[in-house]
Amino acid sequence: MTGRVCRGCGGTDIELDAARGDAVCTGCGSVLEDNIIVSEVQFVENSGGGSSAVGQFVSLDGRRQIHHLGNQLQLNQHCLDTAFNFFKMAVSKHLTRGRKMAHVIAACLYLVCRTEGTPHMLLDLSDLLQVNVYVLGKTFLLLARELCINAPAIDPCLYIPRFAHLLEFGDKNHEVSMTALRLLQRMKRDWMHTGRRPSGLCGAALLVAARMHDFRRTVKEVISVVKVCESTLRKRLTEFEDTPTSQLTVDEFMKVDLEEECDPPSYTAGQRKLRMKQLEQVLSKQLEEVEGEISSYQDAIEIELENSRPKAKGALASLTKDGSVEDTASSLFGEEDAEDEELEAAASHLNKDFYQELLGGGVPGSSEAAGGPAGGGRPPALESLLGPLPTAASLGISDSIRECICSQGRDPKDASGDGELDLSGIDDLEIDRYILNEAEARVKAELWMRENAEYLREQREKEARIAKERELGIYKEHKPKKSCKRREPIQASTAGEAIEKMLEQKKISSKINYSVLRDLDSKGGGSPHREDARPQERAGARKLSRRKTPARRSGADPVASVGKRLRPMVSTQPAKKVAVGEALLPSPPSLEAEPVRPTAVVVESGPVSYHPEEDADEEDPDEEDGEPCVSALQMVGGDDYGCDGDDDDGY
Amino acid sequence: MDADSDVALDILITNVVCVFRTRCHLNLRKIALEGANVIYKRDVGKVLMKLRKPRITATIWSSGKIICTGATSEEEAKFGARRLARSLQKLGFQVIFTDFKVVNVLAVCNMPFEIRLPEFTKNNRPHASYEPELHPAVCYRIKSLRATLQIFSTGSITVTGPNVKAVAAAVEQVYPFVFESRKEIL
Repeated sequence: MTGRVCRGCGGTDIELDAARGDAVCTGCGSVLEDNIIVSEVQFVENSGGGSSAVGQFVSLDGRRQIHHLGNQLQLNQHCLDTAFNFFKMAVSKHLTRGRKMAHVIAACLYLVCRTEGTPHMLLDLSDLLQVNVYVLGKTFLLLARELCINAPAIDPCLYIPRFAHLLEFGDKNHEVSMTALRLLQRMKRDWMHTGRRPSGLCGAALLVAARMHDFRRTVKEVISVVKVCESTLRKRLTEFEDTPTSQLTVDEFMKVDLEEECDPPSYTAGQRKLRMKQLEQVLSKQLEEVEGEISSYQDAIEIELENSRPKAKGALASLTKDGSVEDTASSLFGEEDAEDEELEAAASHLNKDFYQELLGGGVPGSSEAAGGPAGGGRPPALESLLGPLPTAASLGISDSIRECICSQGRDPKDASGDGELDLSGIDDLEIDRYILNEAEARVKAELWMRENAEYLREQREKEARIAKERELGIYKEHKPKKSCKRREPIQASTAGEAIEKMLEQKKISSKINYSVLRDLDSKGGGSPHREDARPQERAGARKLSRRKTPARRSGADPVASVGKRLRPMVSTQPAKKVAVGEALLPSPPSLEAEPVRPTAVVVESGPVSYHPEEDADEEDPDEEDGEPCVSALQMVGGDDYGCDGDDDDGY
Repeated sequence: MDADSDVALDILITNVVCVFRTRCHLNLRKIALEGANVIYKRDVGKVLMKLRKPRITATIWSSGKIICTGATSEEEAKFGARRLARSLQKLGFQVIFTDFKVVNVLAVCNMPFEIRLPEFTKNNRPHASYEPELHPAVCYRIKSLRATLQIFSTGSITVTGPNVKAVAAAVEQVYPFVFESRKEIL
């Protein structure tokens, strides 16, 4: 962790104390980091002899961000620490995957706010982050559920002091707050607070309290502090007005608490709706009666008219008396009559105009449709009503008319058909109606083209662009990202085979001495030291064949030789660099036992125990003793390894 | 304060969602042109077909997968799905009606009393979650039934579950808890 600058003095001399887990500036002495230990990654041995990385990949960034946000909210250190703990828990449960870290951090902070009871709203956090409050809310709920933390319910009373302070009541701040609190209690008992945003209630209570103490706070001022909409505030005020408490004077309110409780406003609203419905029903009944009378008058008038007309309409008279849609429709299809003629003419005329506007050529279906419901004693004005209706609707109406005209009764019979479509209960005729004939299809195609002209134009432009680029030869095929192929697990009968196959797959250097590897495998559970010696020798031999630098095997500088010896192995199997590095460590007595220092250790992107059979061979079981550990810095030997690619977590 | 087990609550099923497959590729363009009550959404690649008889809306993909929504009962959903398949058959596709499954059922229920939500949440900690800043109802999840209930302070409850039985069972299950936290009308 080099290159950090002290925030206090700007010096770069920062000392990391692993024991205490601190990062301290040697210039001014300010502590820059604590709990570094938390963010370390440890290697632990598994039962199979492999090792895996354990620990939390909590980035330094995480802690810094938490502090940053927390300071903006003026949270104290204890809260921030708790929030950081939550964050660590979240990370360990992999809740940060797939979520913006900012969201998770905000959720952790809000969780702390809730548990501590600080007057911070989710809205505040979303303001700071410029994120939709519902998105944050979702993350927060998930976090609370996963961490099994019960966030106590929000009490609007918590917000009062905060808002009161913002509204600047000066000396009387306390009194106004008290009054507002009492108002809130009253509201709670009157059931105004369930299901409502606590901030809205606070705003209403504060407004009334302010007025009671002769402070002029306009609605606008209050809503800017409380962050609700003006209409919400007004609504709360009207609801409060409805409660009997509002009738009390200021003094009375301070002294007396009304005993009775009210129903929640939504309940009363519901009751009102019910009453309205009942009224409507009564009204409609009356309307029906009136309509009945009107229709009887209509009939009488018609009869008179018919009788006064010279034409004989014996058959039709009975039809029109019935007034059923069916008959009039059939009459339209069939005989021509003065009335119907007029209707039809008007209908077709209107429809012709309408369609000529669009396309030209009337659609037979809609004219029938228009004629259908308009039949009977109804005035032709209905056509003009139907005329300007959109095409989809008129086409739809034709469907419904046809449905009404033709047979209706069809009992849905449910029969289980697997694969084969069970046609029982499905009337083909009706379904045929769902299919347009050619003319209709053409009409519809035109209409659709018009509606989706934008989209089609865009598509054509895009294609043109691509064609042009292709001609010019600069067209980039935007291939969708290929998800990495999952390699099939290697199936081999012996470990040696497995190693070979793996090496083939990974296409590592062909200069590996396979015989050596096979021998390694065969030695399996032999004495660790001997195994040590052999792989080392082999390693040495291998190294000789490939490395230009001379190998110094035993003797003078065991550490250096270890370092060098490590290199060949590391470069052949990049995926297992660290484990291998550990494994190959011989047990020279001079090496201290030190737990692998993770700061210098390269963090693997995948689990270290990738091929357990291989690891078993190459791993040095001596690890358990702890002896073979070298200080990782020496082991890794600086920059030679070229394995810094996986540096993540902001190290 | 014992809850009546014999209370007759009307559970109204408002929506049943089901899926089925036709096992054949469907030409959306053809359906769009020749279907009478279809909406072709070319940008997302699907066709909406609305039936009138069981009032349902079906979303049709070219792969042959169809989602049917809007039915008010499971039988109706199946009937509508079959009608839909039949109409596709008539359009000329070799439709096979397979893999019919009811996926989601939405129902509404009304309690004859109001409910104190904060109290209810406290008593039902792991299952119930209440965020008045976000939504006015308590969200109560029953993992075993895979059902979610939204409980409002007026006593109305919205239930969603994988089938009608689960929905009914969920209401039965939650009734005693809700009864505990009800608001007594003085």
